[in-house]
Amino acid sequence: MAEMMITDHNPALIRRSRWRQLRAKTLAPYVFVLPFVAIFLAFSVYPMLFTLRLSFTRWHGSGAATWVGFGNYTYLLTNPSFWASMANSGILWLLIVPAQIIVALVVAVLLNSAKTRLRGFYRTAFIVPFVTPLVAIAQIWVVLFDQNYGAINAGLNLLGLPNIGWLTTSAWAKPTLALLFAWKTTGFIIIILLSGLQSINAAVYEAASIDGATPYRQFWQITVPLVRRTMMFAVVLQTLAVFQMFAEPFVVTQGGPYGSTTTAGYYLYNHITRADLGTGAANSFLLIIFVMALSLGFVRLLRAKD
Amino acid sequence: MADTSSRPRAARMISTVGRQGLLLVLTLAFLGPVVWAILSAFKPANSIIRNPLSIDVSQFTLANFAEMFHDVPIAHGFLNTGIVLVVKGSMTLFFAPLAAYAFAKFRFLGKNLLFGAVLITLMLPTIVLIIPLLLEMKELGWVNTYQALILPGSIDAFAIFWMRQVIEVVPDELLDAARVDGCGEFRVFWSIVVPVIRPGLAGLAVLTVMNIYNDFVWPVVAASSSRMATLQVMLSTLSQQITGNKIGADYATVTGELLAASSVALIPLLIIFIALQKHFINGILAGSVKG
Repeated sequence: MAEMMITDHNPALIRRSRWRQLRAKTLAPYVFVLPFVAIFLAFSVYPMLFTLRLSFTRWHGSGAATWVGFGNYTYLLTNPSFWASMANSGILWLLIVPAQIIVALVVAVLLNSAKTRLRGFYRTAFIVPFVTPLVAIAQIWVVLFDQNYGAINAGLNLLGLPNIGWLTTSAWAKPTLALLFAWKTTGFIIIILLSGLQSINAAVYEAASIDGATPYRQFWQITVPLVRRTMMFAVVLQTLAVFQMFAEPFVVTQGGPYGSTTTAGYYLYNHITRADLGTGAANSFLLIIFVMALSLGFVRLLRAKD
Repeated sequence: MADTSSRPRAARMISTVGRQGLLLVLTLAFLGPVVWAILSAFKPANSIIRNPLSIDVSQFTLANFAEMFHDVPIAHGFLNTGIVLVVKGSMTLFFAPLAAYAFAKFRFLGKNLLFGAVLITLMLPTIVLIIPLLLEMKELGWVNTYQALILPGSIDAFAIFWMRQVIEVVPDELLDAARVDGCGEFRVFWSIVVPVIRPGLAGLAVLTVMNIYNDFVWPVVAASSSRMATLQVMLSTLSQQITGNKIGADYATVTGELLAASSVALIPLLIIFIALQKHFINGILAGSVKG
């Protein structure tokens, strides 16, 4: 067809093929997005609407559902175990995110400096945990942090310190999971912050150096303000991830001991094992509202300071 | 930077040593658990729990691997993961750039609404969809099927979002030239856009493989039967499986097999990552920052 168009000078033919091309250009985008739209309607919109209705009923997976109005929502919102799961995720957030962002920023600054040697090697090494399968790492954590036979306690014993029940005491289980999560994702945050740093114009630093600003002052007065957006973006990403944390408690602690690692995500999953699907549906929506509100809050904070 | 030359040499040395020292400690912390697990998997099972910190190469054995392959149908887990990986991965790698092309280079009615759908899917936490989707799968009779593992999320919203940014910078003149030559819109996509964005696609491919291979939340909910379990699902309940299948399995045996299975699950991704790390890091960078 391409050759025809170029060699054939019949005006009517040209007009007709132009018109056909125009029509194709109007239709094409719809055809191109159709597969996505089909999947979106079938596996996002439909289940969400179905679940919204279900969240107002009591249903255990079979038989007829009974309408309970806001019953599931009030049940959850007045249930200490629901709030305990949110609190567990909140504490994990506190244990993970602030420290992680600070460490990642320091490392990103070092990796961005031309004075640091082996930068490529470090970048690769730090991202390895992020690439590896979470379940495999969680299983390795189980072995490493075992109270009686684990390598971590063996190391402590070498230093003359006593065994710690990393996964068997409610005081230590949360920090141990927090460490797993931080270990797994800090490399990712480093990479994100590094790209934020690389977008800062080097001339800004040169000007500051000429004005006699020490590296320390440059860090606080140039680097931190200019990567704040990227930092907030990382915070939003990590907040979403922490409240969804599921595989870690599922594999490592099964939510225990004494529910101390029952995260918001794991609590949600427990409705499935108990076949309490109406409550599970309501819990899904509560979690969506909470996480969305939190993300919007962070975005607001970011805008307000700019 | 200019002032470093005037600083005493000793101070510079300390700064360099401190910086390299910190990075080295972090490297050990980040690589330690993985290296320890892979090396320990080759130790005799009893030695893993009795001397967890010692590494004696002369005692290395494949016993843990042999027993693990005997006790756990891990090859079947690899097969299930492989099937999902090929089908689901191809769907994302083909349909996401196609939709992204429409969003990047066309004006059409409802475009903003549909792109809003992409953004909503992107922001919706995965975990809150599992109960809705599970109920849908029950309704369809798809629990423990490949469809259930493959179709939900098969055209990744993030991939569309990212590829739209990549395709936006392809010059319009290039596309128009192809149209003047009589290319249909799909041919423009296939023979012009796809070759131009190949580096971006490579990044997307690596990221997609990693995401699907590591995916756990949805597979464990939708397909937890032993016949349909993916590698990760199988790995998550490995200790129970070993103690269930093997009479008199002690802690050492279970630990040895657990580390062997974890290493087997880790190594393919490590190889892909090391071979293609440039694409991979570019992938994360390009995709995540402009969120």
